[in-house]
Amino acid sequence: MEPHAVPGESPVCACCAEPAVVYQPVIRRYLCGTHLVRDVEERVRTTILETGQIHAGDRVAVGLSGGKDSTALLVILSRLLPTLPGASFVAITVDEGIAGYRADTMRAAKSLTQRLGVDHRIVTFRALIGDDLDTLLIGRETHACTICGILRKKALADAARAAGATSIATGHNLDDEAQSVLMNAFRGDLPRLVRTTGTGTSETFLPRIKPLMAIPEKEIASYLFVQDLFSVLPECPYTKYALRAEVRALLSDYECHHPGTMQHLIESKKTIEQYCAGTPVMEPLHRCRECGDPCSGDLCQVCRLRHSLGK
Amino acid sequence: MKVILPDQGIRVMEHCPGTVGALLHEIGANPLEVIVSRNGKLVPEEATIGRDDEIRIIRIAHGG
Repeated sequence: MEPHAVPGESPVCACCAEPAVVYQPVIRRYLCGTHLVRDVEERVRTTILETGQIHAGDRVAVGLSGGKDSTALLVILSRLLPTLPGASFVAITVDEGIAGYRADTMRAAKSLTQRLGVDHRIVTFRALIGDDLDTLLIGRETHACTICGILRKKALADAARAAGATSIATGHNLDDEAQSVLMNAFRGDLPRLVRTTGTGTSETFLPRIKPLMAIPEKEIASYLFVQDLFSVLPECPYTKYALRAEVRALLSDYECHHPGTMQHLIESKKTIEQYCAGTPVMEPLHRCRECGDPCSGDLCQVCRLRHSLGK
Repeated sequence: MKVILPDQGIRVMEHCPGTVGALLHEIGANPLEVIVSRNGKLVPEEATIGRDDEIRIIRIAHGG
């Protein structure tokens, strides 16, 4: 029998007698809303401290799409701020220009930053490359996530530098991380599998940190729901073209039947990273001959994309 | 029992599956991709459900 679950009765929290809102299958524990919030925030704080993601004096640019993960990230970081001496945050939202999708999440992002009193910058694909994503993708819809990903990363990095940030925090959760491991394995992309983005210098890349990397997606949604912070938002119309959507479905199904699978994938990645430590699996860094950004070849991904888009 | 589906559709079920998990199985939803409320309160899959309950299933997995 599962802990604190009696057949015919709803389960209760392992820490108190309140009704449970979530079950953590890997450690076989039920939690109520109050203890879930406490547990999630403590695990994020532990991740930040153990992996040295935020230091005193850092200015962290938080990528805020307005969706659940980045919303939870900004809420948690704003609450942890008093325990991170000297650190400050700026929220950055990238408006790709996706009709029927972006307006709602933009509204959510503005509302959240106003409520939390966080400096908020908005950047657009139109300003970056001269068109919105919908226009850029005409006839190229199947490449939507690749094109969007390259431009969003560039827009976020430029805005972060302009805001004086020392690192970029994104809302990637445990599910996202496990999906990435599996996608890179499927592609046979060892360099990307072992590439770490958590270090770097202001002369090359701003370090990218993922404070939610230990938290399952379901717990993040639950964390927001029990605090009346969860909003049902529209789905990106280009999701259907994403490899990630297929991998997500496959992995969710497997995790459901074999709890711990996602965590095992992430641990496998760490093991491979250790074996590859010091081994040159990546191309050396160069400077893009057109824009000067750091890249692995002659041209950076953004400039290559500009050429292919005729921009 | 009234069930509000992720697409906002409403299904009134004559029979009661017994638990949230059994309901999700019946409608083919992966428990990891949704959260479920019973009469407005979040509940885990093992929570019991009754004929008079309003169950809302919310999709959480989005994006590419």
